[in-house]
Amino acid sequence: MTQLVDIFLTVTTSRRIWQRFLTAAGMHDFSESELSVIDETIAIFDDKQNMLATGSLAGNVMKYIATNQTDAAYFNQLISEMENRLSQRGISPYFVFTKPEYAKKFKYIGFKPLSQTDDGVLLEKGYPTISQFLEQCPKGDPAKRNGAIVMNANPFTLGHQYLVEKAASDNDHVYLFVVSEDCSLFSNVERFTLVRQGIAHLPNVTVLPTAAYMVSYTTFPAYFLHGDVDVVSYQAQLDARVFKNWFVPYFAISSRYVGEEPLSLVTNRYNQLLVEELQPEVAVKVIPRHKNKNKVISATRVRQYLSDNRLKELRQLVPETTYAYIITNKLTIKNRMKDKKWK
Amino acid sequence: MEIKKTALAGTLESSDVQVMISPNESGLTIDLVSDVKKQFGKAIVARVKQVLSAYDITDATVKIVDKGALDSVIKARMIAAVQRALDIVEEPKWEVL
Repeated sequence: MTQLVDIFLTVTTSRRIWQRFLTAAGMHDFSESELSVIDETIAIFDDKQNMLATGSLAGNVMKYIATNQTDAAYFNQLISEMENRLSQRGISPYFVFTKPEYAKKFKYIGFKPLSQTDDGVLLEKGYPTISQFLEQCPKGDPAKRNGAIVMNANPFTLGHQYLVEKAASDNDHVYLFVVSEDCSLFSNVERFTLVRQGIAHLPNVTVLPTAAYMVSYTTFPAYFLHGDVDVVSYQAQLDARVFKNWFVPYFAISSRYVGEEPLSLVTNRYNQLLVEELQPEVAVKVIPRHKNKNKVISATRVRQYLSDNRLKELRQLVPETTYAYIITNKLTIKNRMKDKKWK
Repeated sequence: MEIKKTALAGTLESSDVQVMISPNESGLTIDLVSDVKKQFGKAIVARVKQVLSAYDITDATVKIVDKGALDSVIKARMIAAVQRALDIVEEPKWEVL
């Protein structure tokens, strides 16, 4: 008889058995940034206490899935249990990253691929699916010139505004996707509100959420966790292909605008990969950073000024709407800064 | 009746079926994954529709991953998923059972 049990990775002996099993299955990344996000881990053991299969849940992502059995029964039992647990917590849709050779196993139990590269596949299952998510958004008119921008806007600065204005003047319509993930200093709702206020003067811009599909913890964890360059490249490639496979056709996007990135290594690599992946079908326009008195405007700098209380300098980097919001809510935001969780 | 939330019932183990029911704006969307779709696809979909109509559900997205379940198992899993999706697990609709 086999037994399905919970594994607690904080217990050293369990963790060692688990890690040895995964290493044998060819997994090697056990960095703290990957492990710290795991909510729960389960495993199947035989009656001699040998591990047969294991899998972990991190938010809406299934991770560290492995089995040393060829019989699909163990794999299916494992995934069923993980899906039931996700469902009990009300998490749907959910995602899995895996190697291309295992993608078939997941397709077989109802997962749908979102994007694929030589190194990995991102699959999805649950509700709403990416097509159902897109159907709720206005469809792009292929007869028009449509531009796209994806931004976190943490918070919305004059630099962001400049980028949107540039895209809005070059195109008939601009789809502005704001990252939905709630792990930045400014909350999802705050970022959306400040973006909406900051672009209110531009009638041809539509603000939309990225959901889990672009620059999210799901598709692109290294963006938030500052992973190494290899991981960034791998995830950025999958992210770019999700955009190309699903968003480009639906919104009839002909060009994507990104801000030139002199300060962040991760974003810089992401921009490079976008150029490689999207061109020539979609033109990638890298817009030089808007400068204020020769100083590059960036949201990072805005957050720095806020933490240093240099509000006068901060005011020169953001639109009046963002400034007004920061001043009114200064204490709340600064309190949040004390918690290392928000970046 | 209107589906309020996504609900899951069943497993992916052999001889079982996994049913996922979610809201849908209009009509029924049934997505069936099964090794025996060719032989029993119609019968499975008919059973799914029968349970839905017993609960007066006209709008729903139903995803079925079948692993060779018998008709009675499909019915049971469908009922469980529907009751969860409608949030009536505590007060089952006995006349359907």
